[in-house]
Amino acid sequence: MEYVVNQIINGICQGAIYALIAIGYSIIVGVVGMVTFTYGEIVMIGAFAAYYTFQLVGTNLVLAILASFAASFIVGGIVYKLCYERFFNSPRHISLLCTIGFSILIKNLAQIIFGPDTKPMINIIENKSYTLEAFGISIVIKQLQIMVLVLVIISSVALTFLFQKTKYGIALRAVSQDKTAAYMVGINVRRTAMVGNCIGCGFGGVAGILLSIYYYSCSPLMGSSFSMKAFSSSVLGGLVDIRMSALGGLCIGIIENMGIMISSATFRDIFAFGFLIIVLIIKPTGFASSGKNRRVKSEKG
Amino acid sequence: MKKVKNTIVKYKLFFILAGLAILLLLPLVITKSVYMRHVCNVLIFATLASSLNIINGYSGQMCLGQAGFFAVGAYTCAILTTNYGWSFWVVWPVAGCLAALMGYLVSLPTLRLQGIYLSFVTLGFSEIIRIIAQTWTPVTGGNMGIKGIPFPIIFGKELFKPHDYYYILLATLLLFLFITSRILRSRIGRAWISIREESNAARSLGVEISRYKSMNFTYGAFWAGMIGAAYAPYVNFVDSSQFSLDTGFDALAMVVIGGQGTLIGPIIGSVVVTVLTESLRFLQYWRFVIYALIIIAMMWVRPQGIAGASNSILAGGKIRRSSRKKAISRNR
Repeated sequence: MEYVVNQIINGICQGAIYALIAIGYSIIVGVVGMVTFTYGEIVMIGAFAAYYTFQLVGTNLVLAILASFAASFIVGGIVYKLCYERFFNSPRHISLLCTIGFSILIKNLAQIIFGPDTKPMINIIENKSYTLEAFGISIVIKQLQIMVLVLVIISSVALTFLFQKTKYGIALRAVSQDKTAAYMVGINVRRTAMVGNCIGCGFGGVAGILLSIYYYSCSPLMGSSFSMKAFSSSVLGGLVDIRMSALGGLCIGIIENMGIMISSATFRDIFAFGFLIIVLIIKPTGFASSGKNRRVKSEKG
Repeated sequence: MKKVKNTIVKYKLFFILAGLAILLLLPLVITKSVYMRHVCNVLIFATLASSLNIINGYSGQMCLGQAGFFAVGAYTCAILTTNYGWSFWVVWPVAGCLAALMGYLVSLPTLRLQGIYLSFVTLGFSEIIRIIAQTWTPVTGGNMGIKGIPFPIIFGKELFKPHDYYYILLATLLLFLFITSRILRSRIGRAWISIREESNAARSLGVEISRYKSMNFTYGAFWAGMIGAAYAPYVNFVDSSQFSLDTGFDALAMVVIGGQGTLIGPIIGSVVVTVLTESLRFLQYWRFVIYALIIIAMMWVRPQGIAGASNSILAGGKIRRSSRKKAISRNR
């Protein structure tokens, strides 16, 4: 029983990072209206930006988060210019292949620039854990896990503020709902889509730091497995619904850790994808309500 | 340009026969075994990309997990021939049918899923197959893979040299092209193309969309399994890293670079991509950078691919816009 509770806590913590990745992903898919395969590499760039900040400036978490947000933001802009802007009216596979090409490009450039091996991340927080006694079970929470959870919650709140209260956020939501209507009320759709894409990528970068801190390592090839997690979580949440994507990320994190409990850690990914496929077969729009997603569904793939 | 096309159409049979003769005599010209290996790689990827083209190019579905079907074929062949001593010639169709069964199972959600959701299911399927191959050690050998897959024997001769194996791969590709070109001209092929062009119109004309889509998936997966089964004895060793998502993406890149929805397109794409990545091998990581740049440049300059027609629905908005302009001027 103790083991189960602790695994659930691990799952929540990991799921929170997945949720942050998925939030960024569904912002991009919602605002741009096209699917990206570059996202995993952007997460990797965020992690490396943090790594070099720690190396050059010293252990300053706030600075590292800003650096990786900025790095991912800039790369997001390049992705937008190269892979989306020209292809808004083209069939979907064209921009999709462009993003695949760009992901190969970044992955290999990163191996050239940063070196191909895995780098150890600095331990920025001391390895201490708290034990809670409740209902006769002792629950162990690491300090690292608390920090990750707090950071995820802070960035989600910041994002909610941005989306609900600011003019930009409202424009972003409008573009995400209906591009033509947004155009008609005087929103600069292309610029908004670009900024939205960059913000989504920035959140991916922040998630990259958290991942590298959580696993104490970063490597140029870390992106692809996490981008699969991001796809799964946001598809679970219905692709464009940001809150549901976050929920999807949490679910995948918990299910993975429950799955590890009954088998071995090597099967981790099978549980995530199996769960995804089962949910999709039962309810094709994921957790989101069916009406909201008519746009994504009706688009010709 | 038009003149060239007309000549090709006029002497079509001659060109096909000449091409066949060149292909059959190729091993006599290329004496070095290293180069022959590259030619064999081109053939393998040409067939894999063509099988993906059946799904993506002809019925307009979006499959990203072709590596999964490829892996099913390769592992079926490897396990049955190595551990159970079956003959390659028996295993080959079995592997194809197993992959086709997988394709059918994956296509079942097509009844409810569309567009990008279907792509994600295929992506997840491909990864699940790879992870199973990596972790189910008693059967698939896990990370160690399966070594020493026996070579097929024909008329008492073991085909282990690339010069001999070339004919098996060539036969697979030619058989594929022949059967597929017949199917595409039949009711089934026309139904697939009509689904790609406009699925609502196709449905209103009585095409059972879900049935034909599922048939399309099964057929594409069958050929991916067949070439997978032919691939396993050729490399003599399979492990899960050969069937990562990148293999599927490579096949997709070949299809799109060559031209979706054409029979010759994936073959051209396979030649271009394989020759490029093999000849630049000395550049190490830079060759993938060049490969990536070529993919992006291709999408910018010629989104319909090398062999694709510019008025194809797969080519993009630019062409459609010009046709709309024509329609408007005609109305005036």
